[in-house]
Amino acid sequence: MLLSVKDLSVWFHQDQKVIRAVDGVSFNIDRGETFCLVGESGSGKSITALSIMRLLPSTGVARFEGQIEFRPEGTDRADLMSLDEGSMQEIRGGRIAMIFQEPMSSLNPVFTVGEQILEAVRLHFPELSEQEAQGRVMEALVQVQLPEPETRIHSYPHQLSGGQRQRVMIAMAMACEPDLLIADEPTTALDVTVQREILRLMKDLQARTGMAILFITHDFGVVSKIADRVGVMQKGKLVEVGGTDQLIHRPEHEYSKALIAALPENLAKHEVHEITESDNPLIRLDQFQIHFPVRKGLLRRVVDHVKAVDGVNMEIPKGQILALVGESGSGKTTLGRGILRLIEPTGGEVAFDDTDITGLNRSQLRQFRRRMQIIFQDPVSSLNPRLSIAGILTEPMKVHGIGESPEERLEIARDLLSQVQMDADTLWRYPHEFSGGQRQRIGIARALSLDPSFIVCDEITSALDVSVQAEILGMLLELRRERELTLLFITHNIGVVEYVSDKTAVMYQGKIVEQGATSDIINRPQNDYTQKLIEAVPRVPV
Amino acid sequence: MTETMNKRQSYWRRILRQTFMRWGARFGLFWIGILAFVGVFSPFLASSFPLLISESGEISSPVLTYLQPVDVIFLAGFIAVLLMPLMRLSGLRKLLLLLGIIGIATIFSYSLVSPPKLVIYEQYRVAAAAGKYDWVINAPVPYSPRDYQRDRGDTGLEAPLSAEERTHWFGTEENGADVLSRMIHASRIALGIGFVATGIAMVLGVIIGGLMGYFSGVVDMLGMRLVEIFEAVPTLFLLLTFVAFFGRSLYIMMVIIGITSWPGYARYVRAEFLRLRKQDFVQAAEAAGLPLSSILFRHMLPNGMGPVLVAASFGVAAAILAEATLSFLGLGLVGDPSWGEMLNQAVQSSSFNWWMAAFPGGAIFFTVFAYNLIGEALRDAIDPYLGKSG
Repeated sequence: MLLSVKDLSVWFHQDQKVIRAVDGVSFNIDRGETFCLVGESGSGKSITALSIMRLLPSTGVARFEGQIEFRPEGTDRADLMSLDEGSMQEIRGGRIAMIFQEPMSSLNPVFTVGEQILEAVRLHFPELSEQEAQGRVMEALVQVQLPEPETRIHSYPHQLSGGQRQRVMIAMAMACEPDLLIADEPTTALDVTVQREILRLMKDLQARTGMAILFITHDFGVVSKIADRVGVMQKGKLVEVGGTDQLIHRPEHEYSKALIAALPENLAKHEVHEITESDNPLIRLDQFQIHFPVRKGLLRRVVDHVKAVDGVNMEIPKGQILALVGESGSGKTTLGRGILRLIEPTGGEVAFDDTDITGLNRSQLRQFRRRMQIIFQDPVSSLNPRLSIAGILTEPMKVHGIGESPEERLEIARDLLSQVQMDADTLWRYPHEFSGGQRQRIGIARALSLDPSFIVCDEITSALDVSVQAEILGMLLELRRERELTLLFITHNIGVVEYVSDKTAVMYQGKIVEQGATSDIINRPQNDYTQKLIEAVPRVPV
Repeated sequence: MTETMNKRQSYWRRILRQTFMRWGARFGLFWIGILAFVGVFSPFLASSFPLLISESGEISSPVLTYLQPVDVIFLAGFIAVLLMPLMRLSGLRKLLLLLGIIGIATIFSYSLVSPPKLVIYEQYRVAAAAGKYDWVINAPVPYSPRDYQRDRGDTGLEAPLSAEERTHWFGTEENGADVLSRMIHASRIALGIGFVATGIAMVLGVIIGGLMGYFSGVVDMLGMRLVEIFEAVPTLFLLLTFVAFFGRSLYIMMVIIGITSWPGYARYVRAEFLRLRKQDFVQAAEAAGLPLSSILFRHMLPNGMGPVLVAASFGVAAAILAEATLSFLGLGLVGDPSWGEMLNQAVQSSSFNWWMAAFPGGAIFFTVFAYNLIGEALRDAIDPYLGKSG
């Protein structure tokens, strides 16, 4: 046994109250094993990891108790709870290393990556000569398969891509040959193809060095790819621990069952919406393009264009859900906003119900605004913090002349809120009083307030926990059946695509590389990129 | 409907509560409250004219007879401010209404209020001493700022409470006028110049900065050049030049301080608008087809005002200092006392009279300090990294 955590509890101060963030958590990790902690946001999984490193923020922690024993090879066991700060520092980074979710903010922007790894090496191996230390840095970079390590060693963090930065973080952690690597959502900010490589790399390194990994994630797909054993956390308690296969297929605790059942892969597939041949497509894109000029020099001359959306042809039939998938930077968000003319298109045509809307001026566009709406990804920034929910919902109605009087509009707003399963007293509250899922519901109510026929859903569930995601998706499907909505569903989550969409389009570098019926794309992808993308998605074996 | 709305905490109510939870901000507000009170009621607090007299059974109020139009404007403005919270209007409408009331009060007071041209300060004091009145109610400080007490002979440069027959809490200046009375009347100038100059700067800054931020592109580029031009103008030297050419006027001073300090606000508003432009809720407002005015003033401006208000509270302090500096250099107003001018007097006299330096100097210090404390607390309350309000 390498690490044993017994009855770990952490209390936090919050609004004059003391809250138990971690509640009697016990688990063991063996050498060479990967232990995954899964749970929704706020379940205390990161706090548990930080407690092991004794890196909890000094302000805010009210009390902290339990036993944490660490037994690296060749040394005596150490009680991490009572160790003095000096020996703790040797363990931190030397014996136990940690990598975080956001590699950009974990690296210092003013030093090259080589210097930063060198510093870590020097700290833990002061006996090494300059040359030996340099050699170790290079070795670490080679180990994490960073392309062209000889030149990259002199790069600054901003010159690297997200995946490369995460590799550097891992190299930094590995340079000191730790016995335990704590990885806190290390792939959450990365694209699936990059995520797959990083996970594979971590597995490789583990096989070679025999280190143990404590992996924290919320994604069951990742769990099924990497974990040997899994612990499920809920509200600070570790409710179930078991082997990966057992936990995913035969969960025992109620909460684990609910969590597994909420995975989009496990949700009952809705029936595909049949289109009658006579229906014209509601949205038709013809050679649609959005180019952003790149300006340089004193006179701001246009030297080049960033082709965010480059000649897209696409049709969305009435009443269908088209999923637009692609990795970050593929232009899918730009395309979604371009259709609504929130970003001005630079070429091509958008036909809405057979009318080209690209040439319309502001007042002509207004009558179309009513019929096409958008729901956003980030539930925090999508609602105006200064307006009450009533203000947010009724203002667009007033502008478009829906409802005769303020009272009538409030009545409609109340009705909308009940459709998204929110209380009527929500009306007089402000956005900050709601949780992410509730805000997303309000965002949906706002989009519905104008009774549109087309809605762009821009990654609407990617900031939410799986159980909330399942509720929101179920509700959206219900609404679209009642209201005959046509949706453009932008997402990177293949599980969600499979669950909600009728058709799928795959976007890569501003172009649609493949489109067709969802089941065809997922099961029999034709295009090379699509194949790579679908294959990289970590999926829970059903 | 409005009642339920008021029960809920809106964003600004939360910010204000957080701001005034701090002791510094409370002290600042307390001090400015005292100043405002003293400034508005200065003719009743410090005046050589009794508040009420009874002359052979007939009651009259000389202080009202000698009320200046400016005094009336201040009183009208003060009453309007007090009534504002009772009205159920949005912030912007309240502000417009307040400006309207002050405008009307200005027109009426200048056309209707005509105090006697000839002012003899000692007239009532002498008459009272001669036993002409049944009873007299004097102001708490029974001296006007320009009452040199000629009836009492040489009263110049008396230390606080040194003369036995009359009380000068803060002593007298070289001409024999009461220092406390002069300070009370000067508080008005300090407050007025701070608010008006900052108000002008804020309005200009918000409009220009807002346009730059919302439209960006060419508008932004031209706007930024304009900002840079105005930032290059040294306020103090421009003020000196104007005083030299056009004489001394408080209003010119206010306007000049106002139009040279807007670029700071414009920069803040521009940056906020550039940021807000990309925010999802602004995009949502646009997608809903809301008119431009609503997007700008209802969705963007209230979210971008935080840093501007912080800057404004520091700006008020800076404007007060600018006026004090100018008056100290001897280029301030003639006749009307101001704190800076009183400091100048203290320096000019041959011997060092501590009461003439300490009291106005202390007043300037505390006022600037008070505004800075409020600005500081407001900044801390708005800072998203300190309080998690999101």
